[in-house]
Amino acid sequence: MKSSYRGVILLALILFASIVCTQYTVNMYFAQRYMEVLLLSGATVVLFPLAWMVLRKDQRDRREQGK
Amino acid sequence: MENEKTRPIPLKDDNYTHNINRSNERSLDRRSFMKTMVGAAGLFAASTLPWGALAAKELMSSSSKSYPTQKIANLSDIKPGDAIEFAYPGEHDSALFVYVKEKEYKAYQNACTHLRCPVFWDRDEKELLCPCHHGKFDIATGKPLAGPPRRPLPEIVLQEKDGAVYAVGVKSYEEQL
Repeated sequence: MKSSYRGVILLALILFASIVCTQYTVNMYFAQRYMEVLLLSGATVVLFPLAWMVLRKDQRDRREQGK
Repeated sequence: MENEKTRPIPLKDDNYTHNINRSNERSLDRRSFMKTMVGAAGLFAASTLPWGALAAKELMSSSSKSYPTQKIANLSDIKPGDAIEFAYPGEHDSALFVYVKEKEYKAYQNACTHLRCPVFWDRDEKELLCPCHHGKFDIATGKPLAGPPRRPLPEIVLQEKDGAVYAVGVKSYEEQL
């Protein structure tokens, strides 16, 4: 796979996971399953720095390739 | 004559007023697209924090959760088919007591589980009706029958004593399923 696609696809997947986790966080809160709420909101928070790292790596790779 | 290609500023842009090339100015390039995705992930992360905080608060206070006993009405003052609005357990938690028929009454927190619109008792259809998007709830169980709501209305535990009805608690979501 070309490296130029890898970052975009990874970020799209991370964003999709963020959306799903956020939706479930709200649903679980109203279902009064508070432990799941904590886990899911924690997962959403962890996904953000992950997305940031993917972006940084992608930019570094492109700089090295001279793009 | 000067060559157009070697000229530092193209001839068409060499003026004081119309020298900004605006085409593609707002187009989203690859880098901006990726930054937008990271920003959106950050936004979602931030938006889950209040829910996490509320859940943590609930977890810490769940062991000491107790509900007050509150008188709703004297059964002699109401007729079958009547509904009474009251606030329970807090003063801002609107609730609805319905005297369905003789010896049968129910009470629910009357914020629709779709977008929290107030729910009304439809005496003719014998259903709880949310007028915002026509969500309907079953009076016997509080479960949604029609419309956008997917979760049941939280049921209030009732107790009859000396000819009056009292609210004594709110059923948890799991108990209602």
